[in-house]
Amino acid sequence: MDLTRRRFLELTGSAAAAALAHELFGLPELNAQNTGAGKPSEALSALAEVALARAKKLGATYADIRINRYRDQVVALRSTPDLATGKLNHVPAVRDTGSFGFGVRVIANGTWGFAASRIVTKDEIARVAAEAVAVAKANSALQKQPVRLSPVKAYVDKYTTPHQRNPFDVPIAEKLALLERANAEVKAVPKVFSANSTLVAHSEDKFFASSEGSRIQQYILQCYGQVTAAARDLERRVSRQRNYSPSPYTAGWEAIEEHDLPGNGRRIGEEVVEHLSAPPVTPGRKDLVLMPNHLALTIHESIGHSTELDRALGYEANLAGTSFLTPDKMGKFRIGSEIMNIQGDRTLPRGMSTVGYDDDGVKATEFDIVKNGVFQHFQTIRDQAHLVGEKESRGCCYADSFDSIPFQRIPNVWLKAGTKPMTLDDLIAAVDDGILIDGRGSWSIDQQRYNFQFGGDAFWEIKGGKKGNMISRVAYQSRSTDFWSSFEATADQRFWQNHGLTSDGKGQPTQINAMSHGSSPSLFRRINVLLTD
Amino acid sequence: MLSRDDARKLIDQVLSYSKADDCQVTIGERDLAQTRFAVNSITTSGRSDGVAIYIWSTKDRRTGQVATNETSEDALRKAVARSEELAGFAPPDPEYVEPLSPQKYPEIPSYDAATAAAAQKEILSAVKTAVEASQAKGVVSSGYYERTASALALGNKRGNFAYATRTRAEYSLTSRTPDGTGSGWASAEGHRMGDVDGARIAGIAIDKAVLSRKPRPLEPGKYTVVLESAAVSDLLAYMFGLGGVFDARAAEEGRSLFTRRGGGTRLGEKMFSEKITVRSDPFDSRNPGRPWVGNVEVEIGGVGQIFFGGAGVAGPSYLPTEKIDWIEKGVVKNLVYTRYWAEKKGVNPTPLPAANLVMEGEDHSVEDLVRSTERGLLVTHFWYIRYVNLQTVQVTGLTRDGLFWIENGKITHPVMNFRFNESPANVLANVEMLGRPELSDNRIVPAMKVRDFTFSSVSDAV
Repeated sequence: MDLTRRRFLELTGSAAAAALAHELFGLPELNAQNTGAGKPSEALSALAEVALARAKKLGATYADIRINRYRDQVVALRSTPDLATGKLNHVPAVRDTGSFGFGVRVIANGTWGFAASRIVTKDEIARVAAEAVAVAKANSALQKQPVRLSPVKAYVDKYTTPHQRNPFDVPIAEKLALLERANAEVKAVPKVFSANSTLVAHSEDKFFASSEGSRIQQYILQCYGQVTAAARDLERRVSRQRNYSPSPYTAGWEAIEEHDLPGNGRRIGEEVVEHLSAPPVTPGRKDLVLMPNHLALTIHESIGHSTELDRALGYEANLAGTSFLTPDKMGKFRIGSEIMNIQGDRTLPRGMSTVGYDDDGVKATEFDIVKNGVFQHFQTIRDQAHLVGEKESRGCCYADSFDSIPFQRIPNVWLKAGTKPMTLDDLIAAVDDGILIDGRGSWSIDQQRYNFQFGGDAFWEIKGGKKGNMISRVAYQSRSTDFWSSFEATADQRFWQNHGLTSDGKGQPTQINAMSHGSSPSLFRRINVLLTD
Repeated sequence: MLSRDDARKLIDQVLSYSKADDCQVTIGERDLAQTRFAVNSITTSGRSDGVAIYIWSTKDRRTGQVATNETSEDALRKAVARSEELAGFAPPDPEYVEPLSPQKYPEIPSYDAATAAAAQKEILSAVKTAVEASQAKGVVSSGYYERTASALALGNKRGNFAYATRTRAEYSLTSRTPDGTGSGWASAEGHRMGDVDGARIAGIAIDKAVLSRKPRPLEPGKYTVVLESAAVSDLLAYMFGLGGVFDARAAEEGRSLFTRRGGGTRLGEKMFSEKITVRSDPFDSRNPGRPWVGNVEVEIGGVGQIFFGGAGVAGPSYLPTEKIDWIEKGVVKNLVYTRYWAEKKGVNPTPLPAANLVMEGEDHSVEDLVRSTERGLLVTHFWYIRYVNLQTVQVTGLTRDGLFWIENGKITHPVMNFRFNESPANVLANVEMLGRPELSDNRIVPAMKVRDFTFSSVSDAV
């Protein structure tokens, strides 16, 4: 019998063999204060010790272990009329997903090695640690420069996403009732074809221990929901959708209640019907007023990805690509106008990438990415900081699963609000011929993050400083530096909104990451607008 | 790897805890060995063994779904109980389709013992070949090699059971010239590691990097293009599979390319070039498929899809797989009917949601297609394709890693990358000549010569 089969069967028969996830991690604390003096679980520390000792004994110069548990809950409701009878069918989906396991990362012979398993026993931890060392030693034959880690303090702490009500504790019936109300509001608008709504809760119980002395336990909680309206015109063979996708947050159920899905359901129902018969855009150079829930993705693609150091150095060349920003441009290359100020930040309240510590064990921090239009710093992790002459990691390390290898990921990357008093109406008033764009549509950008094309979820014509009716079939194209150079004004702090993204893919095998890109509504001059199909 | 007997025992064990009317279980186990390298050196490498158990419990048309990777007896009992608890909260599903009674599933050989036995050592040897060849030619290479071996099983309370094993190897690499002006890419894949010729693809990527140095700009516009099979496969992903373009329900509900004006579908219409014949063929030995519809392995370790009732558009039906034509000589032959929609429409459900794609070709090499082109562009592959309009299947994306100008049947010089805005539906209508089909990204497709392909802007990216 081969090894994996034996291990699988051993577990299936016996309750005693492996630790149960919920017992190891305990219950998350409501309204956590995160003072920096939290106490991680002793049972987890004892398991971690096995990996660290084993790796050291086999010659590893560095080792860490992450023991993680993930939970996802999706509750969805699709309300579509039966084509024959017209009766509304409400099709539910209710799903709980979980996974649990550990990954061991080592440096041996100056080379990284990694191995993982879902069987959380001391024997298996020792075996996997040895496998990680073996992988590192085998790979060292092709290593040119030994891995170098920037220094980090040894932290012993516990961090919990601040939240008032855990979404996993909210009864399914309460969630479904909310979705029913939201779909009903959408469908109350005549001419709406179907309504679709979803609630998602995601949690990560993470324990990190390193051979440098850190013992960090974290509970990260994400919560979000959305509602979609669809309308169609069979004669013209045209269908449109409109979403209300309020920002995903690291937060509890209280965030969902703030979003008012039903109230916004009625609005998007009305807007999708207007969009269905909205006239097409006249293409050409136009001014764009972009709402925060749209600009989030533009920031993400043009600045979030281009300032990843691993891309700039060529580590992602085979898939995600490289970057128009290179290390020699730090501190001097102008990306955009003087009012462009962008932060990298893992401390932003409710930010989707907000944590206590990253997956290298580096304390969450905030740093300048762009200051007054000039590129300042890359996003880094511990094995990269020295490559750009920096002393410390910027804390951007993340792995999406216990069995994924941690690497550099985008933190919260947000655009600072304007410093002068300015409202959305002021921005619109400054536009003679332009478009107001709300929400996300299609998006695409090249592998060095120069040329992009974005759509949107809804578009309104701006003529003579006034917001007019909806228009359709809009996309815009630009180059990252041209686009940010045309950035003329942004509304003040009163209009600043956080906007989270949940499914950024990077790496091979692909890993998923979430982060937030906040901004205020912003004005960009003379952007190339296309008429799409 | 989990054997057939082990899988059956495990499924029976899970089903024995069930108190619901119906319970459906799928199990996947996946052994993944992978190595990434970049800048001619290994960056990450590892081995992991993933398991996912999916449980659907249904009582009075109310379904709860649970997925877990914990397989102790206690954890499995809790998982079944939780799925039943969730079913209790869910409202009755008006589109619920009952689980299948015992089916006869085909045996499809897609497991290669040598591939399953291979791991880091074999991968490292391919990586070493590429790194050495790159150094010899003065280029910088990055790549990714993974091999998976998986066991998949499904069963339910009505006695249905199926089991399959599968191996797969995938290798891709990108070579760049040190001045940053040239980039080449190539990939190989198969269910046998022996079919992945690492030295060959390293040679292609390195040559393309050197040939694509210092590209010249060209005005955007409509051009004749020769799309290599990788580029064709990239585009066809947006026509077959993603987005549910072939979904019959979407067509009838007025949301698709195949919606007929005024209602109904365009089934039977000639919408594409006579040269186009496309089918799903899970029995093609070049890219063997699974015995049933819907897979488990991609969901292991990842965030799963939402399955509406386990039988909706996105959900797996677990029907036995079959060969089916989608387009025959340009005519739309079939649309995808889920079990629910098929029952409603009084037709047979479609076995496959456009997986295991095979497109017929012609007996020409890529060089033949280039030779026949007076003025046009040769495209290596595409990048970052997204729908602009799902209904017309208009997509946007960019060329990448080797775009070349063709003049009087010869490649003359590299060209700066373009963004395109085009529909694969137009591409299938505007085909002029086809190459010999090759496996690329899970589809067996030919290179294509296509007229009037729309490029909308120039990209500075290399």
